[in-house]
Amino acid sequence: MEVSHSIRERTIAENSLVILLQGLHGQVTTVDLRDESTARGRVINVDAFMNIRLEKVLYRDRRGRMSSMDDLFVTGRNVRYVHIPDHINIRETIESQLAKIHRVRNFGAGGGRKEYSKKK
Amino acid sequence: MVVLKSLPPPSEGVRLQQAETTAVLGGKRLGSGTLFVAEAHLSWFDGSGMGFCLEYPSISLHAISRDLSSFPEEHLYVMVNAKLDDEGDAEQQDKAPDDSLEDDEESDSDSEGSRTITEIRFVPSDKSALEPMFSAMCECQALHPDPEDADTDDDDYEGEEYDVEEAEQEQGHGDIPTFYTYEEGLSHLTSEGQATLDRLEGMLAQSVAQQYHMAGVRTDEPSTAFEDGMEVDSSSIAGQFDDADVDH
Repeated sequence: MEVSHSIRERTIAENSLVILLQGLHGQVTTVDLRDESTARGRVINVDAFMNIRLEKVLYRDRRGRMSSMDDLFVTGRNVRYVHIPDHINIRETIESQLAKIHRVRNFGAGGGRKEYSKKK
Repeated sequence: MVVLKSLPPPSEGVRLQQAETTAVLGGKRLGSGTLFVAEAHLSWFDGSGMGFCLEYPSISLHAISRDLSSFPEEHLYVMVNAKLDDEGDAEQQDKAPDDSLEDDEESDSDSEGSRTITEIRFVPSDKSALEPMFSAMCECQALHPDPEDADTDDDDYEGEEYDVEEAEQEQGHGDIPTFYTYEEGLSHLTSEGQATLDRLEGMLAQSVAQQYHMAGVRTDEPSTAFEDGMEVDSSSIAGQFDDADVDH
């Protein structure tokens, strides 16, 4: 999915495994929260701070009560685990996310000297 | 029982304001009021100006709930990692609790810290407002990254991404991070480099005596003064600046 417009967020993502989570956009996954509740839904967005937005969520609270939520946003601080779907190739996902960031970096700045862009 | 306090509504940074919104705090209906999603806080006030205010770092999650089996109306669900004390302010549970009266067994301020949660539901009369309310909260949450997360330390990351454009403005030769100004450069010269420099300077002195201090020898001016790559630099011996210049 789309790479963040913020240099700071791109740098954070590039230097941590949150970049793997960002590669999960569009996947259905389960997020375990710190308070032992869980949310299962489709990943809409993960930012560099691991804030996660899910849609069409089945939410189980810490007492086991289930409810469904259309849209859910959980702060990174409160995420304990994110389940990576079995079919995801972790290394390829990370590499393709890094490639996206590098493409943005080379062309996103604008201005001149494009002929000396690092992209080969 | 939560006692609301009289607070002024936010005056700036208000991303969204939703009137006719009932607040349900921990199961207790507080009546209809106005929700303010502002960049600094999330707050809600009833008709008489009494209300409560939440800090974004204390909000664990928020969601749009349309599941009528769990709550009879569509609403915005907000889980707060805190207990609303008598003053109507949510104090974040992870901090050392000083005047919060309720947390006896909850006072473990370890990283779990989430034993105490408060569930708040905002029920707007206009259900189509739920999505803008949700989005406004997402945006404001993003403005408050976790200060305790060591990985998001600004000092480490500001400027660490190597931005080609930015480096060019600073140094004039964007590809080469090891470009030195005159004084710095001299201190990095090896004896061989110094010999090379001397030889070149000698050559220049013979060819263009008057311009000895201008042509090719780095002066005190920054390197960006030499736009024309045809200047003879001792460093060009190493071929470092071969393709650094567009002006050929």
